[in-house]
Amino acid sequence: MNSGSSQSRLRSIASTLAVALTLVLAAAAGCDSRKEPDLPSVQEKMRETHIYGQSKLRIGVATNEPLMGELRNGQHVGFDVEIARYVAASLGYEGEQRLEFVSVATEDRIPSLQGGTVDLVVSSFSMTEDRKQLVSFAGPYFVTTQEVMVPVRLKDKIRTIEDLRDPAYKVCTSGGSTTEAELEKHQVKTFVVKDVGDCVDGIRKGRYDAVSSDESILAGFLASFPKEFEIVDMPFGTSELLGVGVPIGDPALRDLVAFFLQKSYVQGRDGDASPWQTAYNRTLGPWLKAEKRQPQPLEVPKLVDFDDKAPAK
Amino acid sequence: MSAAPTATSGDGPVPPPRTSVPHGDEAPAIDGTAAAPPAVDRPATGAEGDIAWPAGVPVAEPADPIVADVEPGRVRWDPAERRARASQSFWTAVVGVPAIFSVLRLGVEAGGELQTTLLLVANVGPVNLLAGFLTTAARLLSTGLVAVFALGAVLAVSADRLPPGTRRRPLFARWADITPAWVVLASFLLALITWPLLYLPLLLPAFVAAFQLRPARLHERVVPRVLLMGALLAGYGWLMLPTMRDAMRQGDEWLVLALIVVPPLLALFVAGPLPGMVIRPLASVTEVAVLATLIWAAVPVITTPVLPLTVTTVGPESGPTEDVRGHVVTTDDVNMVILQERGGVRYVPVGLVRAQVLCPSEEELPRHQLRIHDFHVEDSLLEGMGRRVRPVHRIDAACRTPA
Repeated sequence: MNSGSSQSRLRSIASTLAVALTLVLAAAAGCDSRKEPDLPSVQEKMRETHIYGQSKLRIGVATNEPLMGELRNGQHVGFDVEIARYVAASLGYEGEQRLEFVSVATEDRIPSLQGGTVDLVVSSFSMTEDRKQLVSFAGPYFVTTQEVMVPVRLKDKIRTIEDLRDPAYKVCTSGGSTTEAELEKHQVKTFVVKDVGDCVDGIRKGRYDAVSSDESILAGFLASFPKEFEIVDMPFGTSELLGVGVPIGDPALRDLVAFFLQKSYVQGRDGDASPWQTAYNRTLGPWLKAEKRQPQPLEVPKLVDFDDKAPAK
Repeated sequence: MSAAPTATSGDGPVPPPRTSVPHGDEAPAIDGTAAAPPAVDRPATGAEGDIAWPAGVPVAEPADPIVADVEPGRVRWDPAERRARASQSFWTAVVGVPAIFSVLRLGVEAGGELQTTLLLVANVGPVNLLAGFLTTAARLLSTGLVAVFALGAVLAVSADRLPPGTRRRPLFARWADITPAWVVLASFLLALITWPLLYLPLLLPAFVAAFQLRPARLHERVVPRVLLMGALLAGYGWLMLPTMRDAMRQGDEWLVLALIVVPPLLALFVAGPLPGMVIRPLASVTEVAVLATLIWAAVPVITTPVLPLTVTTVGPESGPTEDVRGHVVTTDDVNMVILQERGGVRYVPVGLVRAQVLCPSEEELPRHQLRIHDFHVEDSLLEGMGRRVRPVHRIDAACRTPA
């Protein structure tokens, strides 16, 4: 009898506790449902960037690198241009009226970002430690290697880096490029011009004998003059990570670009048609020897976006 | 015949004739023989014609109103009438509350401007308004109902332990008593499909409390009961374990963990009864808390837009364009009327509209990065199923641009 009543008292105390705890949990859930997300959202980052509220986005691209960035019949085309369009559209700048492509020479890429004449640079811009002191990079969006392109008449004579050192051959490259530094490291004497296109012109006119640059850029010129040139595979040993250049004072914009590149990467990894894959197939794809995939972008921030609730599979 | 005695009693108020009094064929007998003895007892009344006169009615006291003493208590507590009144107020609330809320929402949506409110009233149909209200308020409504029914049932089962001398049962207990079971069940079903998945475990103790499902109801013998409970918990664990692992890995999701783990355990004890001394304070506190919560939660319902958010690109065929961010009120042959997000109404000529896209609002951003078997924890079952039907929701570029 006594134990029965004490048991019932115990049960009623347990009930009281359970009811109280349920109410506390419900209150906590209610507060939780009204709090702001912990992670920053894409919209918040947008508000922090220097481009917020700007009516046009200015993107620096190359205009004389076939397949990468080229001005053809007044239209900007190429892989870099397609990537630039995707990034711009993700940032809210879609259509020709809201997007301004600015022609930027290889050596002007850093000054134009520093000087504020462009908001982004998408122009075969290799991410290097030295450059990271001056500008920020989002990416990589492409990994390429350094190669040498020679006219068909010399394809049997220039086969190695040793051959390039021969003073008989005039090797050309673009100023301010990673190639210039790499060739210098291998003690190859180079003729430095403004753009790779000038080197190609020079070779066709007999001024130079070889041009060295990124495989992706050279593939573009090979596509333009398939009968006149050949790419020679040389073991330079360094891979070039191409990234989107962002002014160093705008980390929010860098984060956003990295976030959108990651979005495309995830889409492609899951087997869907990603913007990157579409751009690649339309431009570089048919001209490269080996099939390439989008590399995983580095230092991608965690951001909250509207489509986060969509099913993963 | 029966008029004669009435006429003789000239010094007192005359009770009104009652149709309900005795059958017509008995009347002569009353007048003749059977009525005689009472007439002797009450000589002054002269009311010998009404043998069925209610016992307590004063017949010869002029100052008193006639129906004053007809046990007022019993009339007030007549259950049938109470139920009728309760049902009346219920339907009044069902129709009235959404209507009032909807009008309030229109006022808020219009930015407090009278003319804009009138424009909205003229163009938003009542059905659209009500449907729009229900989609945003279903969660709040079901939360209120579930809370009332769960608390009411627990208080009702404990009510006999109230300290002696307490006459009235707690309000929620009385509400839970008079509500039919199907209404309670319907509220829980509404909660089940509209609550975010993360909060659904809380529905478990609420359901157990509302329907008084003690563990003993599972099986009368202990061993099968324990086995059944083990099986139920194992199923729950299978459902939630991956999410819990994710939450632990993320580190700062303690509330999520508590919301998943604790409610099933609480469900074992929550059904009551509660000790007598707790009931009264609990009833008062929860009444105030539920009311406060409803008011607090009603604010976002009132401020949620009635019309969908769009960005309209406006401009001539070849020339600069402009993005107008706002809610399209109506479109006719001449103009598209846009209520801008920052306030103000814009009449855009239809010929200038280049493009239009639907945009999400920032309130829809998720707070947690967790999923339960690929359903996002902040989606309700309905939303989750919807996302399976239309999996990818692309955000248009125009939505990113500032207002």
